[in-house]
This record gives sequence, structure tokens and C-alpha cells, in this order.
Amino acid sequence: MERAADIDIPAVRSAGAEAVVRRRKRRLDADPIGYLLILPFYLFLLLFVLAPIGYNLFLSFTNYNLDTMHGVGINNYKALFYDRFFGIALKNTAIYAFFTLVLTVAFGQILAVFLNYKWGGIKWVRMSFFSPYVISMVAASMIWLWIYEPSHGVANTLLEAIGLNKVQWLQDTKWAMPAVIFTGFWKFLGYNVVIFLAGLQGISRDLYEAAAVDGAGGFRQYLKITIPQLMPVTFFLIVTGLINNFNVFEQIQIMTGGGPLNSTTTLVHQIYNRAFQEFLIGYAAAMSIVLLFLVALLTAANFWYGSRSHES
Amino acid sequence: MVKKSVTIPVSVVMVFVSLAMLVPFLMMVLTSLKTMDEIFAPHFVWIPDKWQWSNYKEAFSQGDWGRYYFNTTYVTVVTVVLSLLINSFAGYAFAKLNFKGRDLLFFISLVGLMIPPQVTMIPVFIILKHIPLAGGNDWVGHGGLGWIDSYNGLIAPYVAGSFGVFLFRQFFLQIPKELDDAAKIDGMGRVRAFFNIYVPLSKPVFATLIALKAVASWNEYTWPLIITSSEHMKTVQLALTVFRDENQTQWNLMMASTTIMVLPLLVLFVFTQRYFIEGIVSTGVKG
Repeated sequence: MERAADIDIPAVRSAGAEAVVRRRKRRLDADPIGYLLILPFYLFLLLFVLAPIGYNLFLSFTNYNLDTMHGVGINNYKALFYDRFFGIALKNTAIYAFFTLVLTVAFGQILAVFLNYKWGGIKWVRMSFFSPYVISMVAASMIWLWIYEPSHGVANTLLEAIGLNKVQWLQDTKWAMPAVIFTGFWKFLGYNVVIFLAGLQGISRDLYEAAAVDGAGGFRQYLKITIPQLMPVTFFLIVTGLINNFNVFEQIQIMTGGGPLNSTTTLVHQIYNRAFQEFLIGYAAAMSIVLLFLVALLTAANFWYGSRSHES
Repeated sequence: MVKKSVTIPVSVVMVFVSLAMLVPFLMMVLTSLKTMDEIFAPHFVWIPDKWQWSNYKEAFSQGDWGRYYFNTTYVTVVTVVLSLLINSFAGYAFAKLNFKGRDLLFFISLVGLMIPPQVTMIPVFIILKHIPLAGGNDWVGHGGLGWIDSYNGLIAPYVAGSFGVFLFRQFFLQIPKELDDAAKIDGMGRVRAFFNIYVPLSKPVFATLIALKAVASWNEYTWPLIITSSEHMKTVQLALTVFRDENQTQWNLMMASTTIMVLPLLVLFVFTQRYFIEGIVSTGVKG
């Protein structure tokens, strides 16, 4: 768990030590009004975050369809094994998450390192990288729908200009997923750049100066100092990025609707369709539990791997 | 790497890459000013012959955009105000007040940081459907639609924000204890001390959370898609997708609507960049 400490959440770190001191003082000046102040927050949290987790688990053992509800044991989970679309969605989600994550983290880090050089235009460059992150996924999808338009879009115009054949992008089972991934890459790259930049500001210059004295060149410094020093930031981006990318839905729903021939359907897209188009609430709830389980598992694996590589 | 004055090739590449990031925005604006003939011309037209500002007027007349903008603005404003109020209260109590079980309650509330909303959208939908005495429901929450297809249904799930509470708590912890003591000597209660001392000192963290919450709320698509069904509850994000569903997509009108929706956000971002990026960075990374 050393890795968890590296992300450095001061609230978590300080709570333990402070608690001891506080416990002694508590009897002297207690503030029962504190309960009243957290009440509204807790009410909403309970109703819309905590209770739904348990309720979701409960629903997954029923065949609720917004009308009738009967217990069905683990039949929903069994049925998932034979659901061809669920299998495809699982595969597509993994592909989307993996490639979007690798692309945004790798390019985000490299670009941040170059941006970190002292030069005039950094504010404007940072802004241009970050602006896709600010707009809605709907707006981004609309813009890229037009770019990918098969006969008159910019993507094919550029391909033709360099003498390549046109591609049917979102209408082609081979190209739809890469096209969606590229849209995600464009949208989330700036977020990674900004976070990496913040991490780079925290690396002590002395390290680089010492390395320079020892005769290490720029690339060696990058390998031996920048990458290891950025590990906590990289780790943070991988964990949060994995969770976000595993829940990909909006651009799928808008750009491809899961098609063509289910080549871009994802877990959340399947959950949405089953629950809110077919009203198979219990079945979709079981999918949500699997999704939650997968995200938790991947996060735990990351922490485990992170702490292991830290020790060695 | 030791910072040194930048080498020319690096800066040329960086400028090129950052311009490439903006090309989709450029395409959006240029397309919004073309005629359909120019869009479907055999040879790609980059700059429209005559700028068709009328596209904006026409795009606006397709659907009740005044209503959509009102809905989205209303939902965003109420969500931001309510969540800031409630979350700052909780952050203050968790940071500065002494009551039994406080730290445990705080740790439990952090669960909200780890649960993606997509995982709980089904139970939240059902809970909203069964809000007692709302939308034709009886007192046990049966018979009607509850908060489905209503402003309350769009707002309620987004009010409690574990991230907001977390950020407020962190910020309030840095405020020295001496100020609390001074307030006590002046005979101020804990709640008055919050409004008179803590809120004025916490403008940056409020600004950060306003920026983040407002943008997130304005951009929300999945939840409005699920919870609303009628035309008069539509948000701008939902309305925009209608352009896509038509048989013959009017790309110029679609891009005009997208431009109108995106521009205020980008302008807001340029002016609040500092708060926005600080907020993003403080999501847990301390370099």
C-alpha cells in the first residue's frame, strides 16, 4: 500500500495522527451542531450513492422490469455467460480503455516534458491542449461525426490528398473503434498534459543539475529522473483513466450507437440498452455489478503492481 | 532535464501539435458558415465563399432552443448553488468541528469518489421514480412517476459531491485555529464563524468548485438522456443530438448549434483558466 501513500491525499494522511489529539479534547469542546451541518450532504449521499450500491446488488437477483419483480437467484449472472453481446461489449470496452489510456498517458507525458521547457507560449499552448477537455462529449462527438463523414468529411479529404483510399470510418466494423478511440484521445490528452505538467513542477531541479554534472544527457535524464519521479502521477492517471475509460458511453451512443454490427458496443452501452430500452432492470443491474467488480479489480491490480514495483 | 531556453525544433513541433488540437474547432466554425452546396461540393471547400450567418438563425429555429437553454441554465445554477452550500457545510464540519464518529463518517463519504455514476444509474432511476408524494405518487411512493422527467430528477443525484466535500475539508484544515478562538471570544457560534470567517477566506476553493461543477452540469448527457422524456424538459446536450438523427444531416446547422453551445464555455474557460486547472490538478496529485 505504499503506492497509495504516494498519491498523497493529505486528508487521509493527517486524519490518523490528528484523531489521537482530538479524542482527548473532544469532551472539552464538543460541537453537536456538526451533525446538523453534515446532515443535508449525508442525506443526498445516502439516497443517491450509498443506498443505490446495495439496491443494485439486490436488483441483480431479481427479474424486475419496472412492473413485476420476482427473485431469480443467480440466474441473471448465469445468463451473462451466454449473452453474446455482453461478451462483445466486454472485449470492446477493454480495447477502448487500453488504447485510449496508453495513448493519452504516453503522449501526455512526452508533451508535458517538452512543454515544461522555459518558453513564451506555454499558456496558450496549454490552453489549446485543454480546450477539448472543457467542451461536452456531445459537442466533441458532433464535431468528429462531421470530420469522419465518409464522402465529404475532412478525414477522407486529407487521406485523398496524400493519395490514400477513402475509409468508411464509423460505418466500417474495422475502423469504427479506432475512430472512436481517436476522438477520446483528442478529448482527454489535454487533461493528462496538465496533470503531468503539475507533476513536473514538483521535481527538484537539483536532481537534473547533479545528473548533468555526472555527464548524463537529456534523454538519459528523462529515463533516470523524469520517469521515476513522475511515477506517482502516472499511476494516478492510469487508475483514474482506467475507471473513466471503462465507463465509456456517451461518444458510443452518439457517434455509432454501438454499431456497425456491435463493433463498438461497450459495457455501459449494453447496460443502458438493457435497462432503459428493453427494461430488463434486473439483468442490467447484474451487468452493473460485474462492471463495478471489474473496475475494483483493475484498480486493486494497479495498486498491487504499483507497490511491488516500488519495492524492487 | 535542466530547463534551458527552448531549442527551435521543439517549439516548432509544439506549436504545430497545439494548432492541430484546434483544427476540429476551426472545422466546426467554418462548416457552420457554409452552404450545404459548399459542404457537398466535389472538391473540399475550406473557406466558405460567403459567410452564411443565417445558418445560426435557422439552426435556432429548429426546435425550442430558448426552452433548452433555459432548462440547462436552471439545472446548472440550482445544482451549483445547492451542492456548494451543502458540501461546504459538510467540509467545514469534517474539518473543524468535534463530534463523535466524525472521521468514520468522513471516510464513508469518500466511497462516493470511487463509485462511477454509471454503475448506480439504474437504482438511482428507480429511487427517483418512487419519491413519495411527487409526480402523482402516494405517500409510499407508488402510482406515479415521482421525479422522473422533472428538474428535481435532473438535479438531485448531483447535489452531494464527495469530491467537493474532500476539497473543502482540505482547504478549511489549513485555516489556523487561532481564528476559531478569536471568533469564540467574540461570542460567535460555529455556524456564524463559518459564514463570517471561513467563507470570505475560501473564495479560491469556491471559485474552483463553481467552475468544475458548472461545466460538468452543463455538459451532462447520460443522465438527462435517462431521466427526461418530454420535449419541454430537454437540455441543450440532448437537443444537439437531434441533428444527428435526421435522414439528411444538415451539417452546417448542426455545427452552428455546436458552435453556440461550445463558445460560451471556451470563453468562460479562458477567463477562469486558473481556477479550472488548479481544481483539476488538485484532484489528488501533488507533484
